[in-house]
Amino acid sequence: MNKRVQDKWTMEDIEAAIRHMHQSHEKLNHVVTFVDPRKQLLDVAEGPFHQVPIALKDNVNTKGILTTASSKILSDYVPVYDATITKKLREAGAVVIAKTSLDELGMGGTNLSAATGPVLNPYDLSRISGGSSGGSAVAVASGDVPFAIGSDTGDSVRKPASFCGITGTKPTYGRISRYGIIPYASSLDHVAFFTRNVKDAAIGLGVLAGRDDHDMTSSFLPVDDYENYDANIEGKVFGVLKSVTDYIEDARVLALFDQLLDKLKAKGAIIKEVEIPYNLMKAVWSTYNILSNCEATANHSNLDGLRFGVGVSGESVEEVMTKSRTQGLSFYIRRRFVTGSYGLLQENQEKLFKKAQRVRRLIVEAYRQCFEAADVVLAPASGRIATKLSGSDSDPMSDESLIVENWLVLGNFSGYPSVTLPMGFVDECPIGVNLNTLPFTEKQLFGYCAAVEEVTGYADMVKEVGKDEL
Amino acid sequence: MKHDQAFVIQLANQLMFTLSENEAREINEDFDVLLAQLDLLDDVNTENVEPMAYPFEDETDFLREDVVSHVITQDEALANVKVEDAGLIVVPKVVK
Repeated sequence: MNKRVQDKWTMEDIEAAIRHMHQSHEKLNHVVTFVDPRKQLLDVAEGPFHQVPIALKDNVNTKGILTTASSKILSDYVPVYDATITKKLREAGAVVIAKTSLDELGMGGTNLSAATGPVLNPYDLSRISGGSSGGSAVAVASGDVPFAIGSDTGDSVRKPASFCGITGTKPTYGRISRYGIIPYASSLDHVAFFTRNVKDAAIGLGVLAGRDDHDMTSSFLPVDDYENYDANIEGKVFGVLKSVTDYIEDARVLALFDQLLDKLKAKGAIIKEVEIPYNLMKAVWSTYNILSNCEATANHSNLDGLRFGVGVSGESVEEVMTKSRTQGLSFYIRRRFVTGSYGLLQENQEKLFKKAQRVRRLIVEAYRQCFEAADVVLAPASGRIATKLSGSDSDPMSDESLIVENWLVLGNFSGYPSVTLPMGFVDECPIGVNLNTLPFTEKQLFGYCAAVEEVTGYADMVKEVGKDEL
Repeated sequence: MKHDQAFVIQLANQLMFTLSENEAREINEDFDVLLAQLDLLDDVNTENVEPMAYPFEDETDFLREDVVSHVITQDEALANVKVEDAGLIVVPKVVK
């Protein structure tokens, strides 16, 4: 199915979407819960999403509907309230048909750690979807739904968007309420989402954006009319982030990027290089690793097996908590928590945690300075296509691992808006480009993205997974 | 920095979970990579730099009026509790 949010949808379309999703799930394993839509269909609101079937990442609270965050410890958790974005989408006419798979608790970039097993890439079933919002990415890429919610703490929407050939939008920090989203790292978490074109992304943000008193980090700034973006890039300065492109090893990815720049130049864009000091770029991953895991250990201390979630019996409260957390959290998550625990040791709080917060400030300041020379900053979203399910053997200390595969976290450190959209194909698998602007300038960002979309011609791509795909 | 399996298990226990021997060995084996990556923070001079806790420092919180709002029922509050009795969460005896 390649219908867009902006198209007219019927009840028959919703039924077709549900059938489609059941079929593709058999191949891709991207759904945690199929939502019975009958109750919603009794009262579908008029609005920009009227009768549009959508999917929500399974860390979005949905009243009365199982919400597991793809973790065993939450495998029976049924929220008693809706997230603000669940309400907003329903009020705009959307019909939720599925809750989608994620890396457990949103902590990962592969979707291999989901309690329901790996999510497969529709372009190559032997490859990962990317994560942590892999289930939602695949739901959009395979043509189940035109819109799906994810969350983005490091690059969890923008990287899978690159791997799945779709548009992944992470707006400014505070632009969309996070109330009712199971958190990972509060200073980095964003609600983000997938579409197959820029116009649908602009419509989506128009529905989702706005102040929410339930989320104290939510911005008071007025919401823009995002759909009225201007795709004219004549005279606009596109700043190529040299600090990333210098370390991409795959020449085919660089060639695609250069072709894109040539096309943008032909449309009147001015191409410049911008840079962030090497020592700061090299520290991006370490800064993220400490901040995200330290914050996560605090956020997830409520997973105690007592108030909600799967509890394991024991002789004392401490034993119940310890057993519940040991059995309910996978090794992958417990390994990350060990990093968080290390960062929060008394002797490391200044040396590591506070140090990382200080480095974060310097990285953000250097990133901000890039926008003094450019209207928009861009680079390939990744140095490679989706890796094989069996994993990658890249050197964890290499510039490509530390910089190229982690640079998107600049958008989380800074809170600046950031969008990934398709740029081309390598080995018949998609690879994306990522564009960024200053805070609360999503309207301008959508304009630049629309220009990219126009020159690549990659809007509305769907990769169906028919029965002959296996 | 010296580390061993016992150290890794101690870090886990502080967060109320345990590790099997194999899990602790694997984390311990990877610890040198983690430490080498964290050393990269020291290549950045942060003298006189304030920690950055959130992306923006504009005030977005406020003190609301002290009136009841946003209430859930007791049944809702206990809906996900495994064992409850008379509106209370039942846990193993604390005082023995």
